[in-house]
Amino acid sequence: MTVTPAETPPLEDQPVPPSPPAEAGDGYQVRLDVFEGPLDLLLFLIRKKKIDIHDIPIAAITRDYLGYLERKTEINLDREAEFVFIAALLIYIKSQMLLPRETDLAEHEDPRRVLIDRLLEYEKVKAACSLLREREDVQILQWKRDFIPPLHGESELEPVELSLFELAESFFRIMKRREADDTRVIRGRDVSVEAKMKELTALLHERSVIDFLEYFESNASLEEALVSFFCILELVKSRVAVAVQDELFQTIRVWLRKDAHRTAAHD
Amino acid sequence: MTDDTLKALVEALIFVSQEPVSLERLQAVIEGVPAAEIQAAVDELIAGSDAGGRGIHIIRAGGGWIFATKPAHDREVRRLLQIERKNRLSSAGLETLAAIAYRQPVTQSEVSAIRGVDSTGALKTLLEKKLIKIVGRKKAPGNPLVYRTSEEFLLYLGLDNLDGLPSEAEIAKILEEEKAVEA
Repeated sequence: MTVTPAETPPLEDQPVPPSPPAEAGDGYQVRLDVFEGPLDLLLFLIRKKKIDIHDIPIAAITRDYLGYLERKTEINLDREAEFVFIAALLIYIKSQMLLPRETDLAEHEDPRRVLIDRLLEYEKVKAACSLLREREDVQILQWKRDFIPPLHGESELEPVELSLFELAESFFRIMKRREADDTRVIRGRDVSVEAKMKELTALLHERSVIDFLEYFESNASLEEALVSFFCILELVKSRVAVAVQDELFQTIRVWLRKDAHRTAAHD
Repeated sequence: MTDDTLKALVEALIFVSQEPVSLERLQAVIEGVPAAEIQAAVDELIAGSDAGGRGIHIIRAGGGWIFATKPAHDREVRRLLQIERKNRLSSAGLETLAAIAYRQPVTQSEVSAIRGVDSTGALKTLLEKKLIKIVGRKKAPGNPLVYRTSEEFLLYLGLDNLDGLPSEAEIAKILEEEKAVEA
């Protein structure tokens, strides 16, 4: 690829020997998490190198920038992505600048424009922040009635005056409720499909018709009820039993098929 | 009404109000007194409260006047209220607030783009602190929520209105100074 000097800023194309990034020789280290974000880091690097924001040597700045990213020890994916995004933007800009062009680019066509605009805007926000912080520091010392919180607690409820007896009563009521609520984990007995199947077929033989809802409610636990439901499905599927529901949401009646001589229990 | 009675009345009205009282509001309450006279009474009150020997003063914020304790008494006030310290906004919070203040009405993604950082969390905190409010949805894909600064924001920073935000010139001056320090 042929690149004429006019198309790329002179600073950039010089091959720069790989050097330990960023703070080598600066005598101080900066941790990434002190920056509010990738733009903050970029601004820092630009100022440190006393670079004109309108004429950023993309190659050099990208190298510094990536140097900071590499020194990150902990990984915070959310933040990482934002830093990497700007790194990608830097590299994209550089690639655009390397493309040979027939004519010189006008200033507004500078591939760096998008980055410059963002940096300038962010720089302004940061400067405004320092002014707003000064205001905050003064205002925070002046207590207005609006901002004075209630003396105790953060409850929004109106305080109610209680006598000692009322207080004691509510305490006992709460304790009673606690007693009732006292939950224990009781391991239900294991219900096997096989055993339930036998029980169900025996019952069908005995009663000839089962009201499913009734039967369901007689089950001790949800687990048992579920198992019996599976059993009925299984019996219907293997054409041992017939299930009929007269109406939607009504109970289901189950009876043995007359022609079914074998039962699930014998399977 | 004598000047002194008017002054006393205005003071009482500002005192009972938990939010800034505007001149229009005062005029509506005190019937038959020209705005200029009320303004003069307020000015006199302010001059009087700013003088020594007083623990509270009247400040102008959020389009009206409100009583506030003087900064010098902060430590003891906090002791009375049993508040360890009043937290300043985090730098992320302040940055987000500044971006909203200058670019309002804005959406979350616009704020995030300005900062180069996802600002969802910061927005939520600012909403909880009531420093910003949701004013509607933008007619754009996804109908994102639109945010503005609130009246509490003005009061929080002691600004009379949004025009009181640091101007372009003030910001440029700060940037000049920062560059001068570095050079």
